[in-house]
Amino acid sequence: MSKKITQQEELQKQIRKDALRKNWKLFSQSKLGMIGLYIVCFFLFLALLQPFLFITGIWNPAIYDPVVGYDQIKAELLVIECPKEYPTEKYESYSDCPGPGEVNIKKLYMAPDLKVGEYYDTFIQPAPPSKTHLLGTDSLGRDIFSQIMEGSQVAFVLGLLSATLGVGISTILGTIAAFFGGRVDAYLMRQSDLILMLPSLPLLFIISAFAELKVWHLAVVLGVLGGLGGSVITIKSQALQVKVKPYVDSARITGGSKWQILFQHILPNVAPLALLFMVFSVTGAIASESVLSFLGLLNIDMSWGIMIYLSQTDGFIFSGLDFWWLILPAGLAVTFLAGGFYLVGRGLDEVFNPRLRKR
Amino acid sequence: MAEYIIRRTLQMIVVFFIFLVTSYLLFNAIPGNAFQNLLLNPELPPDAYERVLKTYGLDKPLMERVQLYVVNFFKGDFGYSYKYFPKTPIELIAERLPRTLMLFAIVNIVAFYTGFLVGKILAWKRGSKSETWITVTSVFSYTVFYPWFALMMLWFFGYKMGWFPIGKFLYPEKWYDAPWDSDVIFVLMIKFTAIISLFQFIAYLLTRGIESLTQRRNIRFGSLLVIFISSYIFWNYGDALTKKPYAADIAYHMILPVIVVTIVAFAGTALLTRTTMVEVIKEDYILTARAKGLSQKRIRDRHAARTALLPVVTSFIFTIVTIIDGSVLTETIFSWPGMGQLLLQSVLEEDIPVAMATFSFVGVFALIAHLVADISYSYLDPRIRIKSQG
Repeated sequence: MSKKITQQEELQKQIRKDALRKNWKLFSQSKLGMIGLYIVCFFLFLALLQPFLFITGIWNPAIYDPVVGYDQIKAELLVIECPKEYPTEKYESYSDCPGPGEVNIKKLYMAPDLKVGEYYDTFIQPAPPSKTHLLGTDSLGRDIFSQIMEGSQVAFVLGLLSATLGVGISTILGTIAAFFGGRVDAYLMRQSDLILMLPSLPLLFIISAFAELKVWHLAVVLGVLGGLGGSVITIKSQALQVKVKPYVDSARITGGSKWQILFQHILPNVAPLALLFMVFSVTGAIASESVLSFLGLLNIDMSWGIMIYLSQTDGFIFSGLDFWWLILPAGLAVTFLAGGFYLVGRGLDEVFNPRLRKR
Repeated sequence: MAEYIIRRTLQMIVVFFIFLVTSYLLFNAIPGNAFQNLLLNPELPPDAYERVLKTYGLDKPLMERVQLYVVNFFKGDFGYSYKYFPKTPIELIAERLPRTLMLFAIVNIVAFYTGFLVGKILAWKRGSKSETWITVTSVFSYTVFYPWFALMMLWFFGYKMGWFPIGKFLYPEKWYDAPWDSDVIFVLMIKFTAIISLFQFIAYLLTRGIESLTQRRNIRFGSLLVIFISSYIFWNYGDALTKKPYAADIAYHMILPVIVVTIVAFAGTALLTRTTMVEVIKEDYILTARAKGLSQKRIRDRHAARTALLPVVTSFIFTIVTIIDGSVLTETIFSWPGMGQLLLQSVLEEDIPVAMATFSFVGVFALIAHLVADISYSYLDPRIRIKSQG
C-alpha cells in the first residue's frame, strides 16, 4: 500500500518537473523575455553584492556607506585669471572659464596668498568617476555606485513584497467574487470601484502626511491598494471563464465542497494569470516608490528616487551632462529594472497564453 | 438590462456616499489645518486663530462637520475655498478644467492613434529585426521613470536648445493688455479642436465602407486639406483674428508637454494593441482571408486590426478616467496650472472644500465610466454575463 503511494508521488513529481522544464524551454525561446531576466538578475546581483563587499571588508563602510559614508577626494587645480573679454584663444565664452582642472583666482577668498600659475589643493564634491568610485560621488561625498546597490535592494524588497501581497489579495477576492456571485460579487466590485475612485497619487500624499512611511509600510499600502482595486476585476473575469469549464462541474457532481472546488480547481487555473499580474505590478510598485521619494514624501534613507530628488534639489539636473553621474545612473536604473520586469512578464505571457506564441 | 442599470445606479449612490465620508475623514486625518500658519504671525491678536476657525466652522466636532458637509453636498452647496476665499470650488474647477482638458485631450488622441498604428505594425512584422527594436523602444518609453524623463527633456529642449519655454502656460508680458481672460481663449481652442476632430472622425466613418484603398486614402487626405483651409480662414478673419496671437502663445507653451507625455503614453496603447492583434492573427477567419487571396495590407487593416481595436478602446475609456489623476505629475513638472495642480495644492494646503470637490469630481467621472465600460463589455463579450454580478 505504502509503496503504491510513493510511486504515485514520484509520478506527480516527475510530471511537475517535466512541466517546469517545458515551460522553461518555452520561456527561453522568447528573446526579449530572456533579456528581461538578465536585467533583473543583474540588479539582483548588485543588491546582493553590497552586503558581501561590506562583510568581507573590501569596502570600508566609513567611505562607501550609501547614507553616512564620506570620502575626501583631493584635487589640484591650476590657478588662473579669467579674461575680461570674450572670445579669447582659449575660451570661447564666459561659461567656458574656468575650464576643467582650473580655478578662477577671484573665487579663492579662502587662500589669498596664491598667485596665478600655482596649484591649489582642494577637495572636490561631487567627484567624477574614478578607480575608487566607479560612478563618482554625490555632492555630500557619498559613493554613487553603493547608492545604486542600496537602491536596488529597496526596489526588490518593495516591488516583490507589494506585488505578492496585492496579487494574493486580488486573486482570492477575484475568485471568490466569480465563484459565489450575487451579493458577495456586488460588494467586492463596488469595493474595488471605491478604491479606483480615489486618485492614487494624492491619496498616497495624504497617507504619507499622517503616517511616516518606511519601505515596509509603503509596500503594504501599495499592495493593499493595488490588490483591492482594478486587478480584482481582471482576475474575476478570468475566473468566470474557468468556472464554466466542465471539470468544475464534474467536481461538483462528484460531491466536492464549495471551498474544495474553489481552492483545488479554480484557484490553480487562475494562478498563471495572477503570476503574470504580479510581474507586471512590480513595475508599477517600483515606479510609485520612485515618484514618491522623488517628491520627498517618504521616510527612506536611500533609494533611486531619492538620488534623483537630491540631484534636483542640489540643482544638478539642469546642469546638463557635466554631472551625468548624478543624473543618469539612478534614472536609468529605475527604467531598466521596471523594463526588465515588464519583459519577463511578456515572456511569461507567451508561456501561459498559447495564442501569443510564434508557432 | 434596465433592472440591472437601476440596481447598479442605486449601488453607485451608496458607494459615492461612502466615498464622500471616507475622503472627508482622510483629509481630516492630516495633522494641522489650513489656517495654522496664522499662529506664527506675531502681529495678529491672540484670538484671531480661534475666530477664523469659528468663521469657517472648523471648531465643531468632526462628526458634525462630516454630517453638515454631506448634507450640503447633496443640496449642491460645496462651500468656499479656504485659500482663495471668495471663490467657490466650482468656480476654481471651471477655471482650471479647460486647461487640463486642452492639454490631455490632444495628448490622448495623438498617443492613442500613434500607439494603435505602431502596435498594428509590431504584431504584423512579428519576428523581424525592426519589431525587436520598436518593442525595445516602446518598452523603454513605457517603463521610463517619468519625472526624470520629463526633466531631461525640459533641460534639453527648453534650456540647452532653447526651442521651447520652460514651464508656465503663457508669457505674462504678452497678456498685460489682453482684453480677454486666458480661459476665454482656452474655451475657444477647445471648441476648435473638438470640431476639427469631430469632422475628421466623421470623414473616417463615412469612408470606412469604401472598398478601394487608394480612393479611400484620397478622400481622407482631401478632408484633411479641407480642415487646413477652413482653419486658416477661421483664424485669419473676424473675431478669431484678434485672439490669434494669444492662442498662438498658449499653443507654443503646449508643444513640449504634449510631446513628452505622448512619448510616454503611446507605448501603453502600442504594447496592448500588439498583444491583442497577435491573438487575433491566430483566428481562423484571418486564414480564410489569406486563402481568399486578399492583400496583406487589407487583411491587416480591415480584418485583424478592427477586431483588435475592441480591448484597446475599452482601455482608452479607462485612460480618460485617469486623466486628472495622471495630470498631477505632469502639471507639477511643467508648472501647468490645471486640475492636477489644483488637486495637489488643495491636498497639501488642506483646503478641504476644494479638495473634496475635486475628489468627488474625479470620483463621479470614474463611477460613470465604469458603468459604461461594464455595459459595453456585456454587449461585446457574452462571456461576461451581467446576471452573475447581482
